[in-house]
Amino acid sequence: MDTSSPTVFVNGELLKLYMGRRVRTVVQVIRNEGGAVVGQSTDNQQLTVKGPNQSVPVMHFMEVIGVADGPQSIRAEICTDFGSNFDMASYNGLCKLANGQFKNLFL
Amino acid sequence: MYANHYDGGASHFHGGGFMPSQATQTPDQAGSSKTRSSTTSTTVPLTIKQITEAFHLNDERADFLIDGVEPSLVKLLGRVLNKAERVTDVSFLLDDGTGSIEVTRWVSDSFDTDEMTKIENGMYVVLIGKLKAFQGKRHIGAHAVRPVQDFNQITLHFMECIHAHLDNSRKATAVPATTSAMNDMRAYQTLNVGTGASGDIREVVLSVFQEPASLARENGLHVNEIIRRLGLQEQKIREAIEYHVEVGNIYSTIDDDHYKSACNG
Repeated sequence: MDTSSPTVFVNGELLKLYMGRRVRTVVQVIRNEGGAVVGQSTDNQQLTVKGPNQSVPVMHFMEVIGVADGPQSIRAEICTDFGSNFDMASYNGLCKLANGQFKNLFL
Repeated sequence: MYANHYDGGASHFHGGGFMPSQATQTPDQAGSSKTRSSTTSTTVPLTIKQITEAFHLNDERADFLIDGVEPSLVKLLGRVLNKAERVTDVSFLLDDGTGSIEVTRWVSDSFDTDEMTKIENGMYVVLIGKLKAFQGKRHIGAHAVRPVQDFNQITLHFMECIHAHLDNSRKATAVPATTSAMNDMRAYQTLNVGTGASGDIREVVLSVFQEPASLARENGLHVNEIIRRLGLQEQKIREAIEYHVEVGNIYSTIDDDHYKSACNG
């Protein structure tokens, strides 16, 4: 994993602000389509995740770390199964704080 | 040597005897490093970015200052990379998305080695350890490293970092007339300080100046406004204002009756 650049916590809304940059987010897997996973972001938008490690089961939560290559798409480098018990609302709140008032702690 | 207690590391500190037991109550203590007396250890949850930007006080003693606090211990959460196992220690790189830092975990008994065998590359872990610097480079000496099992812990950790940051930076700007925990209570007290210990009045006067509404006003507040708000004698309020001007908390603006807080909230 390239550790030279920090990864930004994003939700669906924030993803478009970080095009071309490394981001991290959590989505709930809706379906697998060939080489891509369609997931629902923490703010209820649909995101497409392309790349390896598509072995996360549907309805599980998946953390995606990768590069934002579209307003609703991520080219994933690492996907992690976060299980079936994850608080999306809190994570969404964290994304907003980490990009807003407390950006200096993260980026 | 004590018999080994395998209960997740908490008693590891009791057994080793090298740390007061209150330091292990980390999740609660993390955000509330309110009592910064020398007898209490503080554990602060941090992002690695905060560590890399921390102000390094003294090259020899490796003391760092973060938000005005010198943490005895830090709590970090991130992914393990480049794990390397050696005879006396295990080291790895911890990456939490805000940066990365080298971590070393000294293994002196089977409890330690068992703890570290469970850790693998790519895994999320929480660690408690001491922040150190060597030849300009910062790294962590870990006391405990545990895998993250519930991923909500990730969200929680970063929330705790934000919370501790807010807590500590707020305390850094408060007048240290009494212990920090007392400051909070006094700010909210309605003024029944008939006894009027000068410390109380000063704090309350300062808190009025530090309200966001007061900070927003270009010329600050007039002395009479403070008098009217607090309902105290003019003489006592002027004394408090004089004190704060002297220590640098407030300054006069357009004339000797208008003052504004020097801290930017």
